Amino acid sequence: MRAQNSRAVDGAPSAPAIFARSAVARSYPRWRAAVRDRSWVLLETVLPLIGTIAMIYVYKGLHAPDRFLGFVVMGGAMLAYWSNVLWSMGTQLYWDRDKGNLELYAIAPVSFVAVLCGMALGGLIFSTVRAMCVVVIASLLFDVHYVWSAVPAAFGVFLLALLALYGMGSLMGSLFLFYGREVWHVASAMQEPVYFLGGFYFPVHSLGAVLGGVAALLPITLGLDAMRQLLLPGTPSFIAVHWEVLALVVQVPVYAAAARAALQQMEMRSRREGRLIMRGG
Amino acid sequence: MSARTAAAGVSWLRGLRASAWLGWQVSSNWTRPLLFLIYVVLRPISAALILAVMYRVIAGPKAAPYLAFLVSGTAFWAFVQNGMAGFANALSEDRGRYKMLKYVYIAPQRFGLYMLGRSLAELGAAALAALIVLGLATVALHLPIDARTVNYPLLLLACALATFTVLSVSLVYSLLLLGTHDSYSYGELGAQTLYILSGAIFPVTVLPGALGWIALWSPFASWLELVRRALMPGQRAVLMFPSVGTGGVLLRLCVETAVVVVLGRVAFARAERRARARGYLDRDANW
Repeated sequence: MRAQNSRAVDGAPSAPAIFARSAVARSYPRWRAAVRDRSWVLLETVLPLIGTIAMIYVYKGLHAPDRFLGFVVMGGAMLAYWSNVLWSMGTQLYWDRDKGNLELYAIAPVSFVAVLCGMALGGLIFSTVRAMCVVVIASLLFDVHYVWSAVPAAFGVFLLALLALYGMGSLMGSLFLFYGREVWHVASAMQEPVYFLGGFYFPVHSLGAVLGGVAALLPITLGLDAMRQLLLPGTPSFIAVHWEVLALVVQVPVYAAAARAALQQMEMRSRREGRLIMRGG
Repeated sequence: MSARTAAAGVSWLRGLRASAWLGWQVSSNWTRPLLFLIYVVLRPISAALILAVMYRVIAGPKAAPYLAFLVSGTAFWAFVQNGMAGFANALSEDRGRYKMLKYVYIAPQRFGLYMLGRSLAELGAAALAALIVLGLATVALHLPIDARTVNYPLLLLACALATFTVLSVSLVYSLLLLGTHDSYSYGELGAQTLYILSGAIFPVTVLPGALGWIALWSPFASWLELVRRALMPGQRAVLMFPSVGTGGVLLRLCVETAVVVVLGRVAFARAERRARARGYLDRDANW
């Protein structure tokens, strides 16, 4: 609404241009921070790599077939995106409010959706570097092989899953804003259960029909399973790839629409209750 | 002289109690006790479930001692996880978010005592989590753990020695982390590194080369070995060092703990001097 109003001003950029500029502007601090303080590389790459290696050794301790090693490597790589969505999307508006940025977003002629898109864009650099490190290093260490001809299809599924996942992250960002100090704990509490439900380290079908159905609400579950089926044929699968792709195609607009509605609700309620300027939870 | 010693002891205990209480409040007063309890056990329960499903995928639905190996390891790992990652994050928060670390440092009680008390609160939550996870998993997964046959003295002794180790390592590590601009989450990195070398979720014997050798001498591996021997007496399938007797492993843990505590004491003194000299205690971390 604010963006549309700006058209009335002579020479002002159009709403889509403002949206794009806002998203790029919000992503800039994250890109810039990645270059300015490189200590994140250690944390963002070594930590998930250690976790992935630990799970690989669990399978080795169980004398599991080698195909499960690739299974774990892909799960370890996708953890990066879930962490990013949880911490850099879900809790971000809360942190922004705490630092006093949220009130600036509210009075600026930009939409919250653009701000969240910028966060997602900026966060992708961390997540992608982290995921690539896990895949490359763990695959080399444990001699994991992939079907290279399936890479384009798997990349398509990956992009689809990311779209749905970041839509879900935007939805979480709005919902988390209504929490106080406990938001950090809520996000922390959600981390491991999603590792479990998402089937990051084991085939989702092992969860059974009911839990597997609940897990399928997470875009990362379906995306990960589809990518494994494409890149590591022979590994246990949840449902056929085409059904997983179809479900993701449905999830993308559903999560996007839900996020948009939640953002509008959040904005109105926050204005009414004075939560935009609440500090310290 | 003895009256002065007694007074000092009382003062020490008061300081410890106040620090532990503060730590407990910061950790837990954000929600109701029941929700906090759920929060505390959610992570280790999820980790245990992940391992249980991984085990079932490979070994089938039959419960076996090796599943108990995995679950007991992950349940007791909460000690190290909370002791290192939780405490390092807490110290980082004290400095960066609440901006109170410098005031604690200039208070009459010793800084090390404050850190000790603060970390005891984390370890208390970990002990609670370990008990609940182990109890639930034993019933739900039919683990071969029988409360009547558990060797409680051995379990308590092993955990007490491990507590000294965890405290020694985490106090030094957390203090060293204050040297970084943004130390948050680095505690997790330390805990994860030890995870690999501890035999918590796989026998250290599967680790290759130097890693395997280092893990063999890790006090955490000896501790978890004793925990499993205490929980499941006579189950040889859960042992990482079947050729070594329980007394031998206990002796090893005592020696390893002594080495870690002595080295930790020296390192702590150096790290504290360094932190003070370089102004780390009052650094603006731009939380």
